[in-house]
Amino acid sequence: MSTACTEPTTDSRPPVTGWRRFTNEGRGHEPFLTPRNRKLWYGFLAICLIAGSWGAWLRLTQGLAMTDLTSQMPWGAWVAFYIFFVGLSAGAFLLSSLVYVFGMYQFERIGRAALLSAVVSMFVALAFIGLDLGRVERGPITLAYFHWTSPLSWEVRFYVIYIALLIAELIIAVRLHKGLVRSAHKAHRWLRILGTIGVPLAIIGVHGGTGTIFAVVKARAMWFGGLFPIIFVVSAMVSGTALLLAVYYWQRRGTGRTPDPALIQGLGKVLVAAVIIDLLLTFYEFIVPLLAFQSHDADIISIQATGPYAWTFWGLQLAVGMVIPTIILLSPLKRKVGWVVAAAMMVVVGIVGVRFNIVVPPLVAPIIDGYPTNYYFPTLGEWLLCLFLIAGGALLYSLISEWQPIHEPEPDTAADTPVADADSPTTTEVTT
Amino acid sequence: MAGYPGVPASPTTDSTHVPRWGMVIDLQKCVGCDSCTVACKVENRTPPGVNYNVVVEQEIGTYPNVRRVNIPRPCMQCDTPPCVTVCPVNATYKGDDGVVVIDSDRCIGCRYCITACPYGARSFDFGESYADEMQGADELQAPEWGIERGTRGGVWSSPVGTVRKCTFCAHRIPRGEEPACCETCIGDARYFGDLNDPDSLVSKLAADPRAFRLKEEVGTNPSVYYLR
Ligand code: SF4
Ligand code: SF4
Repeated sequence: MSTACTEPTTDSRPPVTGWRRFTNEGRGHEPFLTPRNRKLWYGFLAICLIAGSWGAWLRLTQGLAMTDLTSQMPWGAWVAFYIFFVGLSAGAFLLSSLVYVFGMYQFERIGRAALLSAVVSMFVALAFIGLDLGRVERGPITLAYFHWTSPLSWEVRFYVIYIALLIAELIIAVRLHKGLVRSAHKAHRWLRILGTIGVPLAIIGVHGGTGTIFAVVKARAMWFGGLFPIIFVVSAMVSGTALLLAVYYWQRRGTGRTPDPALIQGLGKVLVAAVIIDLLLTFYEFIVPLLAFQSHDADIISIQATGPYAWTFWGLQLAVGMVIPTIILLSPLKRKVGWVVAAAMMVVVGIVGVRFNIVVPPLVAPIIDGYPTNYYFPTLGEWLLCLFLIAGGALLYSLISEWQPIHEPEPDTAADTPVADADSPTTTEVTT
Repeated sequence: MAGYPGVPASPTTDSTHVPRWGMVIDLQKCVGCDSCTVACKVENRTPPGVNYNVVVEQEIGTYPNVRRVNIPRPCMQCDTPPCVTVCPVNATYKGDDGVVVIDSDRCIGCRYCITACPYGARSFDFGESYADEMQGADELQAPEWGIERGTRGGVWSSPVGTVRKCTFCAHRIPRGEEPACCETCIGDARYFGDLNDPDSLVSKLAADPRAFRLKEEVGTNPSVYYLR
């Protein structure tokens, strides 16, 4: 990868005016995006939001009748995206804990981005599951009534605590970066304390717990079992790392700078380790019921492997999500930043396939012999609502990044940019 | 005492005896006519897509050596109901008389219970209606667990957006009536009664060597027995 900074910095920076005064740029920090990329990015988000709002409108006016769900097939795309985003959040948070708890400071420059991704992903996840409720307005009563045998009841509470903790940690990390804390030492200690509480909370409470929602359902083979929560946690690590790698890379590009190859390769290593563990768990998840000749599990596996969703299993989940990225990240291609980023983006897409295959095939299989096999494919309205919520999450993330220095590298680790243009709004072109 | 509001203890029992309502379905007598399904829809005025009772046609063996069995499937009113344990807000619960009911005023519509039921006995009310096919279809709703719910479509009172299921006709039991499906069955294949009373017909039939329950291995302890 070669870099060419075309425009040398001059001192004739235009004065910061208008709304930009409220952004990073106005306060002397590095802008989130270059003006040109900003237009492109927000234009793209606006199109997604406008298209997606049709789905939101259908959901509000028709209720769940606008979905392809039935009483035999009660959960679909929105539940899949809900667990996807809870997973992204837990994974991103665990990555941030590598910095703040385990002291892997080579990842520090993405620490705040990881925390912010974790917060925003959680909001998106809650929006998905909230709109999936038949009686959205009763959502908050889940906090009023507690049922200790229901993992879902525990989860709601864990999510609330987790979000509060994430926000607290993010605020401290941002203030630390801006030099607003009285003692950097104390701030680091608080980050470590919060992170240390957060790690078991994220693993057992948030994402292991989300896996437990499925794992306790003894009525559904392939959900029921002790391996499931572990798979959830590992695939969370996979998707969180992959997401941050991609976000880091594209944000650097968007702001007209060179992503740091060492950081990307470091993240690539974390990613490949997580993917390999995930592959291993997936292997056991399938081989054990198959060799035990469990007919109900085998039915579901055959739906997954040969049914109408087989392309998501072989194509998305296995090829795009696991095998090809593993090959890239283990082969000499891993030395090329572009390939590592491509692998990471494939993983993120592949994990969407994983989430759908968790939710859909076990519900599609007839629950009693003699029932018909269900078929579910999300309606256009369902997809549009997904688009709406995801674009909404991206918008929230971007606006917060405009407002606070989320992506700005630490001064001492900012080796990837010439000091002179550290905060000038140049239209630097980066060529790969 | 029965476990849902507004429903007094069964008039057939004394005040200290707690019944456990159960059902026995004789598969030899069932001809698969689906009358029970129809009677249930009429009695409980269930909307399209919501079925408390269905008759499952099972094909056993491979062609040409096949035989068919009709299995009428109400809710099993499990004694250890997995649908109840997963409900995050305690909206669904098992009454003292063994009948599992749903509080339509508390259910948030998460449908977790539907995934957890091993018998597919729960339905989600998507808000559909027979109004196009039948005049006055929405005028009246069945009293779910003994509570009158007015006309269909009322935002707060209607069960639209919540999960619904068979209640063994909880509104009929206190009147001394058996569930509509049992009353209507043309072959007299369905028996209803108190499993806690060792002298009741259902207790005796449930103890018959022909008796079995669906998916015993899941450990749900259904209150519905079948005679093979
Ligand atoms: S049959 Fe299903 S709905 Fe009925 S009590 Fe058992 S688990 Fe619950
Ligand atoms: S759908 Fe209603 S009854 Fe079923 S688990 Fe959710 S809140 Fe409970």
